[in-house]
Amino acid sequence: MADPLPIIQLRNLRKEFNGTVAVAGLDLDVLEGEFLCFLGPSGCGKTTTLRMIAGLETPTAGEIYLRGQRITDLPPQQRGLGFVFQNYALFWHMTVFDNLAFGLKVRGLPPAEIEARVKEIARGLELEAVLGQRAARLDLSAMQRVAMGRTLITQPQVLLLDEPLNNFRPGLREIMRAELKRLQLNLGRTMIYVTHDQEEALTMGDRVLVMNAGRVEQLGTPREITEHPASLFVASFIGRPPMNFIPADYRIEGGRALLRHGSLTWDVTLWRQAIEAQMRNGQVIVGVGPADILPLALASHGEGEPLRTQVDLVQPLARQKILELKVDDLLLKVVVPGTFQVQAGEMLDVVMPSRALHLFDPLTEKAILLY
Amino acid sequence: MAETAVTTPTVTSVARPRLSARAWVGTLLRLLVAVGIAIVFLLPVLWMLSISFKPPTEWLEYPPTLIPKEPLIGNYTFLFNPGNPEGAIAVMTGAAEPVMPAFINSLIIAPVATVFSVIIGFLAAYAVSRFRVGGNFMPFFTLTTRMFPPVAFAVPLLVYYSAVIPSVIPGLRLYDTRLGLILMYIAFTVAFALWMTKGFIDGVPRHIEEAAILDGASRWRVLFTITLPLVRGGLAATTLFIFILTWTEFLFALIFTQRYAITVPVQVSHYAGAIGRFYGPQAALGILASLPVVIAGYLIQRHLVTGFTFGLIRE
Repeated sequence: MADPLPIIQLRNLRKEFNGTVAVAGLDLDVLEGEFLCFLGPSGCGKTTTLRMIAGLETPTAGEIYLRGQRITDLPPQQRGLGFVFQNYALFWHMTVFDNLAFGLKVRGLPPAEIEARVKEIARGLELEAVLGQRAARLDLSAMQRVAMGRTLITQPQVLLLDEPLNNFRPGLREIMRAELKRLQLNLGRTMIYVTHDQEEALTMGDRVLVMNAGRVEQLGTPREITEHPASLFVASFIGRPPMNFIPADYRIEGGRALLRHGSLTWDVTLWRQAIEAQMRNGQVIVGVGPADILPLALASHGEGEPLRTQVDLVQPLARQKILELKVDDLLLKVVVPGTFQVQAGEMLDVVMPSRALHLFDPLTEKAILLY
Repeated sequence: MAETAVTTPTVTSVARPRLSARAWVGTLLRLLVAVGIAIVFLLPVLWMLSISFKPPTEWLEYPPTLIPKEPLIGNYTFLFNPGNPEGAIAVMTGAAEPVMPAFINSLIIAPVATVFSVIIGFLAAYAVSRFRVGGNFMPFFTLTTRMFPPVAFAVPLLVYYSAVIPSVIPGLRLYDTRLGLILMYIAFTVAFALWMTKGFIDGVPRHIEEAAILDGASRWRVLFTITLPLVRGGLAATTLFIFILTWTEFLFALIFTQRYAITVPVQVSHYAGAIGRFYGPQAALGILASLPVVIAGYLIQRHLVTGFTFGLIRE
């Protein structure tokens, strides 16, 4: 897919607002042609990072490079980057045509060429019919397309998008998501996309950068992030419902390495070396995905010791049910197929296969790598 | 509607007249309140209009009548061509002077001061709103000149403006000049211009300007092609407000003019005071003096509406 040459490089990029750290020393290589998502809760520094790349915020420390050139102090006008704002920031007092033509007029292109290029981009974004309308009168989807078109028309090297789908209602959002992804594939242009919506990031991004409190939690493909969360934060942020976390003691009994919490026991002899090398104080947090806890009836033979639980709550969704199961002092969230029959109050035997476990060190909150 | 109720006595049609009766009472009450308020505000104006068409015998008549018994336009013609009424008194108070010079002075001083005040205020407001020039308290400090009774500035300014002792303190020679009043009016209204336009500029989302900057536009270009059109209505409202302030300013015009730079408000005061009671011409001049403001307000009415709704610019 992408030429593995970094187009944008951030080196120890830092931003403080009146002493509050928004971004705490970020290192990142953005690859040419990739769709990179910044994912994190609000206030995690993802938008600030994007604005620093665009030149709208001045970094407190650190450097930004574009194709190897240092652009840290370059004014935003000269960076040649496109930015799509969360609320589109259209020029409300102008027509759609003038909105699209603005960047070209600023560059002093001849009117004939401006008109040709505006028409061309309007055709591509299906805005031809509204070219003469005031931007303030458009519907949301058209506003979004004008915002995209206005940015694309100057052919920026990198497109920066700040939660551009936030204002859409859920149904339309999925459609626009696909449109955006298609647009990116057609243009082959590098895009950095900021979102707090994990689904958006995981479906659109070639790579996802998960941020929290101004720091990088994990950078990886959507698959890496869902299957191998690098920290407790990532594991708790990704997935709906999120992963179950169970604090467990590590001990050796009869030559077997066991993790134990009350009546729950996992045999982790296989990873004994890895755990002992990375664990700090004999305790581990076990993460189990809601789909990795299987009712005994649905599990294949030999997946682990059956565990008796009581069904506390059943939440039916369209194709699946979310169960809350009580074991000892724990409440585990489990996803089962919608066809699985179960009532609240019943007893249910489940298995938790050891191969599906994620282990985290409670002190560093980092994942314990098992392989 | 009452008929409908009689011919089709269904539940809805019975309910309808009762509802509309309530609505009717509501409308009537609203109308009464509106008329009451209108009378309170308009009566002085109507009274002035009435006197301006009355002959001298009716000026102080008791009981007064709103409609002149013998209407005439002599009060208006007197303003432009006073002749020699009541001799010495009119000459002493200045009522014998024709009003044209005062009108010309006002028509120069007020618009020029207004335009400069709004331009300076707008640019200052932009700097404050976008770059926090002068720190967070700067806009507040601009108001300090308005925190004293204006007359407190009269004596110091008079010293600056006039040649107190020509050979020792030459002064600025601005006493009784149009430029003198213009400068003074700009100084006194620019804080209002700053505060009013700042409110409108604050209402323009930063993102819109940032989008233009990322499209390659310079700050000046952003200011003139993006921000300025978006606050156009606000500027119109500010301009009208400041024009009213400068057009009607009396105190400083009275103190700082004597003969050449007399403005309309000062001229108005010439007709009735400790001596002289030319109530008719005074009322006539009051009516004429209000016309420029009324006309200006009417002309920019359309912008005023957009100005006040633009507080609702979408983010």
